[in-house]
Amino acid sequence: MVTLALIRDTFREALARKIFWGLFALSTLMILFFLFLLRIDIVSGATATITLFGRQTNANPDVDRMVRGVYGAIATFLYTFGMFLAVFASSGLIPSVLEPGRIELLVSKPLSRTHILLGRYAGNVLVVFLNSAYLVIGVWAILGVKTGIWSPVFLIAIATTTFIFAVLLAVVVLIGVLSDSAALSTMVTVALMIVSPILAQTSLMMRLLSSEWSRNLWKTLYYSLPKVYELGKMTLDAIQSRTFAGFTPIWTSALFGAVMLGAALAIFARRDF
Amino acid sequence: MDGVSLQVRRGTIFGLLGPNGAGKTTFVKTLLSAVRPTRGSALIFGRDASQPEARRPIGYLPENHRFPTYFTGAGMLDFYAALSGVDASRRKKLIPEHLELVGLSQWADVRIGKYSKGMLQRLGLAQALIHSPTILILDEPTDGVDPVGRRQIREILGGFEQRGVTIFVNSHLLAEVETLCREVAILHKGKVALTGKMQDLTAGKGYRLTVAKPPEALAEKVRGCATSMAVRDGWVDFQFPSRELANGAMDLLRAERCEIEALAPTTSTLEEVFVRTVEK
Repeated sequence: MVTLALIRDTFREALARKIFWGLFALSTLMILFFLFLLRIDIVSGATATITLFGRQTNANPDVDRMVRGVYGAIATFLYTFGMFLAVFASSGLIPSVLEPGRIELLVSKPLSRTHILLGRYAGNVLVVFLNSAYLVIGVWAILGVKTGIWSPVFLIAIATTTFIFAVLLAVVVLIGVLSDSAALSTMVTVALMIVSPILAQTSLMMRLLSSEWSRNLWKTLYYSLPKVYELGKMTLDAIQSRTFAGFTPIWTSALFGAVMLGAALAIFARRDF
Repeated sequence: MDGVSLQVRRGTIFGLLGPNGAGKTTFVKTLLSAVRPTRGSALIFGRDASQPEARRPIGYLPENHRFPTYFTGAGMLDFYAALSGVDASRRKKLIPEHLELVGLSQWADVRIGKYSKGMLQRLGLAQALIHSPTILILDEPTDGVDPVGRRQIREILGGFEQRGVTIFVNSHLLAEVETLCREVAILHKGKVALTGKMQDLTAGKGYRLTVAKPPEALAEKVRGCATSMAVRDGWVDFQFPSRELANGAMDLLRAERCEIEALAPTTSTLEEVFVRTVEK
């Protein structure tokens, strides 16, 4: 009951701040965009395209490739632009709960501080989960209806998007608890996202870096920071039926998120308000 | 804060006073576990205040509260009642009752961003009361409330006092505390500078005799002809209604070689008691 109340409160705040509606509107635009594109193709009357959306095209391998291409584009959008938006939108939800005059009342209630922060965290993750589910399922359903191809592997993008957001949100929470600053939370988290594709070039850098200590530093950074880029690439590979090299990005990112969240909880539990 | 120890009788309205920076809010926040003591511990009904369950019997209205403006009045009560462990069916019943209690029934579905300061204060009070606490801690409860609203809050608190709820008021509005509270303590520089019953401390025109703390039996004997006795930092203030009674008490005390610090005529309002205490 208490957890539900905390999650509902986060939702209410996300709705009031137009965060939920903003993400929802963006997802809707994306869905309408694909709907519109498909219609344009049909109206354009190109023979191949009309065939593409007719039932008889089910066995056509080009259609399958096209659908997977769209899936890949959506997944890439979610991992880049969507993730930036989600981090920007969510960064205020943690410091807002720490505002003087609000936090004193919350901590005076018969619930632990861990419970308060985890409730807020879970609510925030749920906001992004619902939005990414809406977008992915929306596009998946439109393409499924239009092409007859129902590839459930695309739905994995919901889980992976939510997962990487949960990892990044742990950073937002930690910086938020440390600094009460939404701007700083956003800056640090975005910096991690930007640095992720650079760090992913590990094998290249191992060849380029001349000294042992710089190679070790690179490897330390690579293994300890979240792998947003590689998780995105893994999703893309899964969607497009390509193989990917191991699950290291998943567990190292999960470990990073757990450490960040654990540190945030420990600091929050000891803070005076 | 240093060695603050207060006895608050169950079912009374107790006022905690003090100048800015005296430690009033820190004391309250320590009880609520919003501030961790550097040394020592805070217990509520014998339980460590840092344990969530220890805070269940407490209703709290913070000073300078900032309730999220996306709530409606009813929505806010629902949220805080849920956090206090009130189940959904009881909340459904209690929310209209408490909005009615603080005169906000008509505003139940209005966003609290549109509420006045006084309305927010009354809603905050309803929030503190909704889970039927046995101790109510109110930080500046009538701050920003108009005279009619203040009277309403006093009446509400009086009603809860009758039901045996202990009410702890933290305020700098001395006239308000004088009207509302049965007992007070004055904090000064992190220590309890004075504590006593309101009627004793504000005994009215008379004479105040300040002496070094006498033996208990003698203090009781002198207390018999005084209107009040207040203990602070090793000194005792006796209040006498007449000069004759004050002189009689002085004779008794001097006979036992008690040190007399001062004898002064008084016209005690709480404000005067307060000023005297913090200026010493």
